[in-house]
Amino acid sequence: MLENFSFRTIVEYLPLFGHGLLATLWLSVVSFAGALAVGIILCAMNLQRSRLSKVPAKIYIDAIRATPLLAQLYFLYFGLPRLGVVLPELVVGILALSLNSGAYIAEIIRAGILSISRGQVEAGIASGMTYTQRMRFVVLPQAFRVTIPPLLGQAIVLVKDSALLSLISVSELTRAGQLLASDRFMPAEGFITTAACYLVLYYGLKGLAALSGRWLGVQSVRSGA
Amino acid sequence: MIEFRGVNKWFGALHVLKDITLSVEPREVVVVCGPSGSGKSTLIRCVNGLESTRDGVLVVDGHRVGDPTTDMTELRAEIGFVFQSFNLYPHKTALENVTLAPIHVRKIARSAAEEAGRELLARVGLADKFNAYPSELSGGQQQRVAIARCLCMRPKIMLFDEPTSALDPEMISEVLDVMVSVAEEGMTMMVVTHEMGFARRVAQRVVFMDAGAIVESGTPEEFFSNPRTDRSRAFLGKILRH
Repeated sequence: MLENFSFRTIVEYLPLFGHGLLATLWLSVVSFAGALAVGIILCAMNLQRSRLSKVPAKIYIDAIRATPLLAQLYFLYFGLPRLGVVLPELVVGILALSLNSGAYIAEIIRAGILSISRGQVEAGIASGMTYTQRMRFVVLPQAFRVTIPPLLGQAIVLVKDSALLSLISVSELTRAGQLLASDRFMPAEGFITTAACYLVLYYGLKGLAALSGRWLGVQSVRSGA
Repeated sequence: MIEFRGVNKWFGALHVLKDITLSVEPREVVVVCGPSGSGKSTLIRCVNGLESTRDGVLVVDGHRVGDPTTDMTELRAEIGFVFQSFNLYPHKTALENVTLAPIHVRKIARSAAEEAGRELLARVGLADKFNAYPSELSGGQQQRVAIARCLCMRPKIMLFDEPTSALDPEMISEVLDVMVSVAEEGMTMMVVTHEMGFARRVAQRVVFMDAGAIVESGTPEEFFSNPRTDRSRAFLGKILRH
């Protein structure tokens, strides 16, 4: 079986995969930053008492979580131009990942904020702090700690989801695998290399998670959180 | 200083405060006691607006609580509140817990706030714990930090909601001692507690509540030696039996 497997071709195509790896990395980073922004805004809307802000956020979050990312991506890529909005593939891709991941991040942040006990909020209220001061000094610093591990989990999901962008011909890791597969008719070599590259990214993020976990662990021993 | 006139409160269908009329004078120490569920915590939580009232009038330091023209954050800065479960900020040191509100609510310079905070922590016997996190402190120490945190705001009134109920017995007196010293300095205080020794020592008045109403009110001597109602007699029988 392995006599048909060409390591030489993989080596030959390594620069392409290197390119793909970097592309996946930076578009994931940009998308994650966008997703954080979307998530924070949605979460803030969701935590307001006014229905006018709460209901749209809830509908958005449900709509995103209930539908496949591929359908969302196709809507943005094929649908939007018909409505008169034409955007480059890369922008569409980053937009889709940010809007999608943002809905999940909104829920992660909300869970973090709601995990802070009522007593903490009351201590802030009783000392005369305004809503903003309570959020800034009491709730958010504590919520941040609880939120880091699930956020890194979401980052890993986002990196893998970015593979879908190959379908709208953004050149990234999966696209590199496709190219090798179609140029040389070597799908085994192409996609195993793609998979290996994702594994590298995964371990990178996992290392980051462990590092932050250790840092947060030290903090939480000190703070009893 | 604190005046309830015909205050009522409901939690849904549950009538938790029934026609409360009570007035606390400046520098007066009032102990509120009663069986659990009698509404005593709710009563003092109304004073700083942690709970809202439905009707009646509640005036604190000349401001009507719950009135739209009353700036509640401003009023709350004048009222210290000590919780049963301490509610210290776990991500901040003892000193940071004490200085947070003075710096951001009172807008006192950080250096001045820290100096005042160190002084107060020393006063409650925690001069060696400025940089300790709440998780590194015992319950009694945490509650003393919580009291210092209130005092650092230079409040006009202090409210205590069962401050020793969550403490191990051997830590109760260290907290009560601090409360006695605050009372002796002339602080206006409302204290929900079953610590009758504390009541005898510093309270001018004991208020006994049952089922949301004030059943009896009098000096500690009157209340302990000669309770007037069956319900207060039954209650005292239970808590003083041992």
